[in-house]
Amino acid sequence: MSHQQPNPLDHPEVRLASTRGYLTGFLLSLALMGLSFGLVATHALSQFYGRVAISTIALLGVLAQTHFLFHLDWSETQRWHTLGFWLTVPLLVLLLGLSIWMFHSLDARAVMSGMG
Amino acid sequence: MSSNEAETEDAGSIVLWNDAHPGPDMISTRTLGFWLYMLTDAMLFASIFTAYAILWHNNAGGPGAEQVVHLVPAFVETALVFASVFAFGIAMAALKRGRQGSVVRWIGVAFLLGAGFLGMEIHEFAALAQQGIVPERSGFLSSYYTLVLTHGLHMLFGLLWMAVMVAQVLRQGFTEGVVYRLLNLRIFWHFQALIWVFIFTFVYLQGKL
Repeated sequence: MSHQQPNPLDHPEVRLASTRGYLTGFLLSLALMGLSFGLVATHALSQFYGRVAISTIALLGVLAQTHFLFHLDWSETQRWHTLGFWLTVPLLVLLLGLSIWMFHSLDARAVMSGMG
Repeated sequence: MSSNEAETEDAGSIVLWNDAHPGPDMISTRTLGFWLYMLTDAMLFASIFTAYAILWHNNAGGPGAEQVVHLVPAFVETALVFASVFAFGIAMAALKRGRQGSVVRWIGVAFLLGAGFLGMEIHEFAALAQQGIVPERSGFLSSYYTLVLTHGLHMLFGLLWMAVMVAQVLRQGFTEGVVYRLLNLRIFWHFQALIWVFIFTFVYLQGKL
């Protein structure tokens, strides 16, 4: 086996780094969180619509970060990272959604007076 | 190199099934493994978020989220985390160009911004504890402390990791080992910003809604 040690800096995952991409990700995330902050600080929306708005904005912030910071795309070097991420998402949704549903329906059926 | 004749091969030199296959290289294998580990860390955070979502109304007559969270400091913390992540990104762009001094400097900037975040967080929790707002006061406070400080602990370990990587970059240069560890630290550090989006939204903003 010939050992021609390639330069680690030529690795495709090193080549992914992009100052412009990271700057875009930074500004976009900060702007989205600033928007949520403004909506809540000024009480511009009712509680229900406020919750919908900040949840949607958080989702957009996360999507922006997966694209600009984590480089999650279907390119040759990143596709398994991306697949792992998208297969984890349903697990997270099930964990959160089902647990909250279970406790919510428990609260509705059982009166737990004095519990804190 | 044939591995099928080795019957008494020691464990350290065993190669996987087909070593002639032009498969993932050492750097790719390790970043993928670490990324899957970070996804299990996401499961940990999802569990704590679940506990918080269930418990956050149970303040047992004590202070609720509205009294405990403060929006302006939380937004400054948000800016610090994002800026630190951005500084680490610039360090990775410098790595691409092979500039050692620049990599070390920008990791230093990321470290200082991250330390600023951690300082604010410690100050915030010390002030709460001083007012008797401690985790054992209520279900809300237990889950609030657990959730926010688990993220804080991740930030602390990220800072330690940065200090180690600066030393390794200076002593070893950009070897294969140092490069994959820098890539993994990027994943780890950027992941903290991702988690913070949820903490800022569903703990801080939600608390004031």
